[in-house]
Formats: sequence, C-alpha cells, structure tokens
Amino acid sequence: MDFKLSEEEEKRRKEFLDGCKELAKEKPEDFIEGIEADFETKNQPYVTRCRKEFAKRGWLRLGWPAEYGGVGSHMDRVFFGEARGYYGLPGVDIFGIEMLAPTLLAMGNKEVKDRYLPGIGNGDTTWCELYSEPNAGSDLAALTATAIRKGDEYVINGQKTWTTNAHNADWGFGLFRTDPQGRKRRNISFLLMDMKTPGITIKPLEYLNRMHMYNEVFYDDVHIPADQIIGEENQGWTVSQALVNFERSNVLAVSAVRRMLETLVEYCNETKVGGKPLAQDSVIRNKLAEMATEIEASRTVAYYIADQQNRNQMAALFESSAAKVFIGDIFERLGALGSDILGSYGQVSASRWARQRGIWESLYQTAFVLTISMGTNEIQKNIIAWYGLNMPRPLSPVSIEKALAAAQAAK
Amino acid sequence: MDSTFTEEQTMLRKSTADFLVEKYPEAKVREIEESDTGHDPEIWRGMAELGWMGLVIPEEYEGMGMTFQDLSIVLEEMGRNIAPGPFFCTVLEGAYPILDAGSEEQKKEFLPKIANGELIFTLALLEADGIYDASGIAVKAVPKGDDFVINGTKLFVEQAINADYMIVVTRTREGASPEDGVTLFIVDAKTPGIHCEVIPTIGMEKLCEVSFKDVAIPKKNILGELDKGWPILSKVMERAAIAKASESLGAMDGIVPMTTDYLKDRVQYDEPLAQFQALQHIMADMFISLTTSKYLVYEAVWMESEGLPCAKEVAMAKAYVNQNYKELSRLMIRLYGANGTHREFKPGLYYRRAKAASIAFGDTGFQRERIARAIGLVS
Repeated sequence: MDFKLSEEEEKRRKEFLDGCKELAKEKPEDFIEGIEADFETKNQPYVTRCRKEFAKRGWLRLGWPAEYGGVGSHMDRVFFGEARGYYGLPGVDIFGIEMLAPTLLAMGNKEVKDRYLPGIGNGDTTWCELYSEPNAGSDLAALTATAIRKGDEYVINGQKTWTTNAHNADWGFGLFRTDPQGRKRRNISFLLMDMKTPGITIKPLEYLNRMHMYNEVFYDDVHIPADQIIGEENQGWTVSQALVNFERSNVLAVSAVRRMLETLVEYCNETKVGGKPLAQDSVIRNKLAEMATEIEASRTVAYYIADQQNRNQMAALFESSAAKVFIGDIFERLGALGSDILGSYGQVSASRWARQRGIWESLYQTAFVLTISMGTNEIQKNIIAWYGLNMPRPLSPVSIEKALAAAQAAK
Repeated sequence: MDSTFTEEQTMLRKSTADFLVEKYPEAKVREIEESDTGHDPEIWRGMAELGWMGLVIPEEYEGMGMTFQDLSIVLEEMGRNIAPGPFFCTVLEGAYPILDAGSEEQKKEFLPKIANGELIFTLALLEADGIYDASGIAVKAVPKGDDFVINGTKLFVEQAINADYMIVVTRTREGASPEDGVTLFIVDAKTPGIHCEVIPTIGMEKLCEVSFKDVAIPKKNILGELDKGWPILSKVMERAAIAKASESLGAMDGIVPMTTDYLKDRVQYDEPLAQFQALQHIMADMFISLTTSKYLVYEAVWMESEGLPCAKEVAMAKAYVNQNYKELSRLMIRLYGANGTHREFKPGLYYRRAKAASIAFGDTGFQRERIARAIGLVS
C-alpha cells in the first residue's frame, strides 16, 4: 500500500494541472460556475474554447488505442479529471468522451468506430444521452419510446426527458424499444442519431436555479439509418451496461469540492462578523474541519479506485458505488454549509449584492446533480447491498401481499 | 501508487488473524475484560514468540525491523478481534518513544526485553484535565541530588497495573509556553511511592490512576533531554493516534460482514432480515463509512510509515474513524435489535470499545481543531 505517484506520473499530473490553470485564466467574468457549467448556454463560447484546446493536446483521447489517436494511460484520465475539477473547466463532453467512446471501443465494430470516434476525439462532435423517460427513471428498462425497423431505417416515436445538453449536442445516443412485444431488457436497442434529424423537437426543462441543463426530447416519426445501431438489435441493454473502461473514481467531483472548500476557508478568514473573523467561530471551525476530512476521505478512495482500475478495469465496482454516494452527499451538504455560513448573503444570486459571486446560492440548488443522475444514491445503495454484500433482493410490498393472500387461501 | 498490500503483508495479516481468532474467542475476551488485571500472560508469551512486540524494533535490538505499516496490519486484526491486553501501550507508548528519543544505553537496556515480551510498558500522560495538550501537564519532577522527585497524579494510564515500566510525563520548568519545560522519565513501576488503581471505564482496558508520592528517579532515566520532552511526545501521540485509528478500522471491517451475516440468519415475517430494503440501505451506509474510512487511514499510515509530515492526515483519519466506529457499532446494535442490547452479545463489545477508542489520543473535537488550523483557518 503506497500512495506515492511515480516520477513520470507526477510529471504528467503537473502537466494537466498547469495546462488547466493557464486555461482558467481565460475564463470570462460572467462564467457560470459548477460541474454542470458545460451545459449553460451563456458559457458555450468558453466551453468550445476549452474543448478545442483539450483536443489539440490529445486530452480527449486519453487511454484510447493508438489507431484512434489515443495517448496516455488510465491514470492520465484521472489526473486530467482532477485538474479540470479543481479549476472548474468545462470542455469535456462527458457523454461523448466518458460514456460513448468507451462503449464504442468495447462494443462497436470497426466501421462504427471509424465513423464516430474521430469526431469525439478531436472535439468536433458533442453528444447527449437519450435514456430517461417520464416513466422510466431509475427503472430505465421500463422505457417505451419505440424504434421500429422499416427497410434500411428505424422509425422513432415517443419521448425522452431530463436529457442533459440536448440543446447543445450535435448527436445523441440512446435506448429505444425495437421489439415492443419483447421481454423487458431484451427488447431494447442502442441507437445513435443526429439531433437535427427532422421530427426531433427539443424543449428546455428549467432546473431549480433556472439553469438550462435538462431537456425534453420528442420524437415524431423520426427516420434514422439502420446502421446507426451499436451491437445487435434488441441487445441494447447489454451495450448500455458495459462497465469496461469507464473512469469510476469521481475524482473530478472530489477536486471540485476541494476547491470550493478552499474558497469557503478564504471567505471565513476574510469576513468579519461582529468584529471577529468567521474563521474564529468554533462551530464553523468544527464544521469546516469535518467537511475537509470527508473530502480528503473521498480523495483517497478516488485514488484507490483509480489505481485498482488501472490494474484491472473491472475492479472496485462496489467501492465506486460507495464513492459516488459519498461525494454526492458531500456536494449536497457542502452547498448547505456554505450557504449557511454566508448568513443573509447565502440567499443572494449572482449580482452586485452577492458574495463569492453567488456560488453558494447556486450550489445549494444544483447540489443534486450527483445524487440523482447516473444512478441515484438509493440505486447505488441497492447495488452495494445486493452485489457488494450479497444480500437477497427485497420482495416488493405487492409480492408480500400476494404471498400472504396465497398462504391464507392455502389454509 | 500501489493500492494493494504486499504478499508478505497479506501473509502477516493471515497469520495474525489465525492467532487472534484462536486465542481470543469472544468468551476469552470477556474473561480478560472481567479479570482484575485485563491481561493474559499466556497469550502475551504467544505474541512474543511470534515477535509482535518487536515487530518494529530494529534487528540490532533483537526485533524484526519491520515497518509501521506492517504493525498497522497487526493492529487492524487486534481491533477486529477486540483483543485486550498491554500490546498497544507497550509498543506504541513504550518501544516507540525509546526508539525515537532513547540513548544508546536505554535502547540496549529496554528494546530487546520489549521485543522478547519480558517487559510491559505504558505511558503516564493525562492528568485531571484529561486533554492531550501540554497545558494539561502539572505533575512536577524536582531535581534532588542525582535524582528527580516526582509528585502528583496521572490518570487514564493504560494497563499501569501490569506495567514493568512507565514513561512519565512531568513538568520540570514553567517555561514561556506550556510545551517548554516538559520532561519524560523512564520509571520502574515498582519504585517506592507509586500507587496504581483501576478506573472503571466503558472499554474496561484497565485505564488506571497512578499516584506518585516522593518518587525518586535517577537523572539518567530522562528520555530525551531535560525540559524538551514535548516534541518527542507530540510524535508519539501522532503515531499512537493513527495506530488507534488502524485498530478501530479493523473493528469496523469486522462489524460490516458480521452484521450482514446476522441479517441473513435472523428470520422475521418468514424472511431473513437481509431481505428488507430498509435494513439493506443501512448496511450500504455502513459499507460506505467503512470504505471511505479505510483509504483515509491507509494514506495516513503510509505517510507515517514513510516518515512524511502527516499531522493533518493523521488528525483527519483519527477524527473520521472516531465518528465512524461509533456510528457503525451503534447501527450494529440497532440492526441486532433487542439482541444488540444484551451485555453478552457482540455489538455491545464493539460499541463500548468504540467510545474508548474515540477518546484515546485525541477525540474528534481535539482532532478537528488541528484540522481547522491545517486547512488554513486563522485562529
């Protein structure tokens, strides 16, 4: 057990940190901060600037095979995420880079890889994920939007929702029912589509703080070429569950909260209330020390997961569920703590009255990004209990009622 | 970076666990707890044969010359098995201070005897304030001829009734700061004027009141330099804090599977409790606490073992484990239901020990204040 990075790793880590630090200097005054900054319409010029710079450096192709222009290792992905998180930089399209590219690399044929990977890797094409539907959130396989094969095309009808970044993305990947009569999870295909295809309508969904991150996406007889499928027809569930090669450490979120805590410490040192710096308030000291401890704990777990994945991609699955729940929880609590410490100013949105540029009023509202998306904390806890601790699947209350009724009837 | 243990360390963990499981069945743990001495000399001899007390003592003093990280593996297993006895105080509070600050003569005199299990050591540090701060040191040692004469009362001295020697922290000067003027003495526990009495405590580890009445100790028994004992002690306390966190982590690592197994066995409403989602999510929370504690402790242990500055990391690990060991054992009792509240069931053992462990070498409030300073909050 040794937490020391090799000299080469330290050098690479510094390269990412320095590169991101430089780029952060160009951040516009009115940039809207947060780990969801990528999706905000007003941020788009800087988002593109960062993406192009990262592409130029090859940082969008970290750990890819050399034939697709890949550079660096798995640990480089971790260092890059850490650096971006710390400096709050947008420009990495998580759906293209973190989700679709690993899926294509693991499950796509050569033709598909040749067609889509270059655009992702050089920052030309951005993506969105078309999974959730109004009645298929955590129970994703309950989705009902259909894609029916007709000749060389699929014809799509239905609705997706909570689609992050659909309003900016060029392309989308998603899950659609290709066999409406088929068994759950065996009736779904993984399809790719140009978001400008006729028949697709995108409507914004306002987030708590009015941020535009989510959208509703409506399909009205949308025709897409049949070769825009990944994997076999009706095997889409398996494709979407491929865990190979995803970066699961959550190091980006960890370093983002580290930076936020540093900002809060500065604020407490500089701000006097009743003639005394907030930093001298023993309750604040205790709370910030507790938060710093939890953030450090999440950092050590992130590095553990990174190293385990570096050795074996399928390692540390339950630890990564634990890490995600933990950091998500920290986000929510840090948002609350920061806005509490700001007192009356904790309610002020970004404006000339705001302190700390209004980030705490914003974080208080956007803190749910991690605890709800990509598997809610409750779903992660199911994963830990069922697969990590091998506890049996619970019976639903309905099944229990039925079983009791059957037992009664038998008597 | 390497997030795995070496093959030797894995073997060390295995052999430690095998020994402890055999020697410390739950009934034995309770027997030792309830005994007057809190110490089983036969098990102690077994440990000596395995070389545990000399694990971190260099080979030139008849030890095994292994690392602090290796020791932390043994401590984890001791925590898992709730092994009572004078191991912690002998190694962390006796061997290490002598290794850190002892003269060559002192090292030659004491370290081989510690390594072979002949001597039990402890540290007489806390006083009436009960705080790990130099301002709490008031027991005086006054020079008289070739001796210093100690008077006063020490509290919470672990296993003092079994100790052959104790390192006694005294005030020899009222300096400019409380840290200045603290002197450590290696004291033969049989010196006339020393009286030990066990304080009844929740963890039953035989924490003692030790009173000193005109106890004369030769000058040559000073550990380190006169008046300059506090820096030595700081290091000893830092190391003991992370060692205590390792011990607690081992207990937490035992609690999670043990509680899961209990839930799988116990049937209510015709189903094992493990099938109820309300309980599954509590278990998942416990797994998350354990996982996040683990690597925070491992990082601090590694830094300590490598001799890197780690005051902040140790404070964080200790503070975090203080809270999480208490929380996990609390939830263990809850999940065992009424069974969890029985004195003779396992959860209570952990719960009581968790309280004691959270106090030893810095409770959460103490550690968090250190963290607050380390993250740059002005004071």
